[in-house]
Amino acid sequence: MLILAVILAAVAAVQGASFVHRGHRSRWTVLWMLLCFIAQLTVLSIRGEMRASCPLGDTGEVLIFSAWSLTMFYMVIGSVYRLSLLGVFTAPLVCFLLAMALMPGLLDTSPERKTVVDGWRESHAAFSVLAYGALGLAAVAGVMFVVLNRQLKEAHMTTGLFANLPPVRELSKVVKRLLLFGFALLTLGLVCGLVMEKTGVANKHLYVALGQWLAYAILLLVEWRRGMPPRKLAIAAVVLFVLSLMIFPLIN
Amino acid sequence: MGLNHETAPVEVREHFAVPEQELGAKAKELTGLSTIAEGVVISTCNRTEIYVAAEDRQTGLEILQGHLSRGHTKEDMTHLYQKCGDDAKHHLFALVCGLDSMVLGETEIFGQVKHAYKKALEAGATKGVLNRLFQKSFAVGKRIRTNTRIQVGATSVGNVAVDLAEKIFGKLDGSHVMVIGAGETSRLVAQSMISRGASKLTVTNRSIERAKSLADELEGDVVAFDAWEETLVNVDVVVSSTGASEPVLHAAQIEAVRRKRKFRPLFLIDIAVPRDIETQAGEIEEVYLYDIDTLQQLASEARESRAKQVELCEQMIAEEINQAS
Repeated sequence: MLILAVILAAVAAVQGASFVHRGHRSRWTVLWMLLCFIAQLTVLSIRGEMRASCPLGDTGEVLIFSAWSLTMFYMVIGSVYRLSLLGVFTAPLVCFLLAMALMPGLLDTSPERKTVVDGWRESHAAFSVLAYGALGLAAVAGVMFVVLNRQLKEAHMTTGLFANLPPVRELSKVVKRLLLFGFALLTLGLVCGLVMEKTGVANKHLYVALGQWLAYAILLLVEWRRGMPPRKLAIAAVVLFVLSLMIFPLIN
Repeated sequence: MGLNHETAPVEVREHFAVPEQELGAKAKELTGLSTIAEGVVISTCNRTEIYVAAEDRQTGLEILQGHLSRGHTKEDMTHLYQKCGDDAKHHLFALVCGLDSMVLGETEIFGQVKHAYKKALEAGATKGVLNRLFQKSFAVGKRIRTNTRIQVGATSVGNVAVDLAEKIFGKLDGSHVMVIGAGETSRLVAQSMISRGASKLTVTNRSIERAKSLADELEGDVVAFDAWEETLVNVDVVVSSTGASEPVLHAAQIEAVRRKRKFRPLFLIDIAVPRDIETQAGEIEEVYLYDIDTLQQLASEARESRAKQVELCEQMIAEEINQAS
């Protein structure tokens, strides 16, 4: 099922890019992403059943959960803001995360069934991964902004990509709102993390998470207090998300 | 049978023009002529065309010519072209795709042909032959628009500017446009912006009378030429076309208001020669600066891009005609 999800995300990415290259709207991307979402949901349900808890017990599951969260936010945001091209940009990232989860050793083949469930730990993991979805999508919208901004500055208007990208003002709003929403979820995750029972590794993970939370907090504070050129905000969203992915190896 | 902007000057075209509300009645009138069973009349500012299905091609043509010659001079009649069979089919298909339009690939003609056909249909002037032909032409038009890039890109400076504005701001509703220098080109660009939803217009000019005249025409405000800098905080689009020999808008002036503007995007259109806006202004992150050369180049690229698509469109039309035959 995970392989199927990878294939669906890859199809969405390749077919979407090909449509955009020819200057057409990619109507199939939503369908492939929806099917990919269902496949991811099935994988997570199976893993949840195996663990008898939230399927966030190993790095592989965290990657799948992140991809699922990213796909979910794309489907919500993409339809609200009519950002049809968002899927074409999101699909490669989803494909990458799912493919990473397939790497040997990342997904425990016989996960330990939990007898006692720590509610705080489960909430910490769930909120954090949902935050990753929102922040990941903010990064995707940030990439779209940077690409369109460059095309506008250099007056490259004849490409199919230019014709299909949403306006820069819309993209900038989406980046800002997703950053805010992701930050709120991250805060909830962090609060749960501070309350939950800790181990030595978890402490290290928590310090890094605190640093990540602080970085997003400073970014949003600066944007709120003195404003920021949209391009800088978009680049910051991308850089912070890439840096955030470095927390994954510290999980478990 | 018909005439268009290539075969007839406007003073001849206006003789043949049919008011929109009479399209159905004129089409029905044709079916009263001997051997003519069906008819559709298309009339736009660039063309008037009559499509008929006749029992006999030659007789039908002569009767139609005779009908049109009433009320028109011999000179007028020399501007008409006539096409039969597959030629007429090809002409209609090319027409709905915008291949025969003054602005290659324009999409308005599709709606105009559809409207003319609807009027004829409602008047009972069409039956099997023209119904099939027009329905097929709409399908061909849709197919060509979906599978080629014939309608992509703006082909005039005004439209390029508006397209760029929409790529920056999305809908222009609520946008504030400032015009520096009340020249003709800036009037056209400002008018295009207003037609797409820009809600506020501010005009400034060395001669306050000219500024007032343009502001009155476009229902905008006037600001004195030595006081427009304050307006820079609120505007989204600046169109500049003064006759000044030195730049009137400097990067430093924009830098000074960036924070007050909360780093909102600013679209600068410089259509003056020599240029009115310092090029360094375009280096500011949220500023998008285009001069007249860039706008003209973009329009020309779009025209070239459309021209390159003609061959592909013709191939597709030929395929459709072969399939139908």
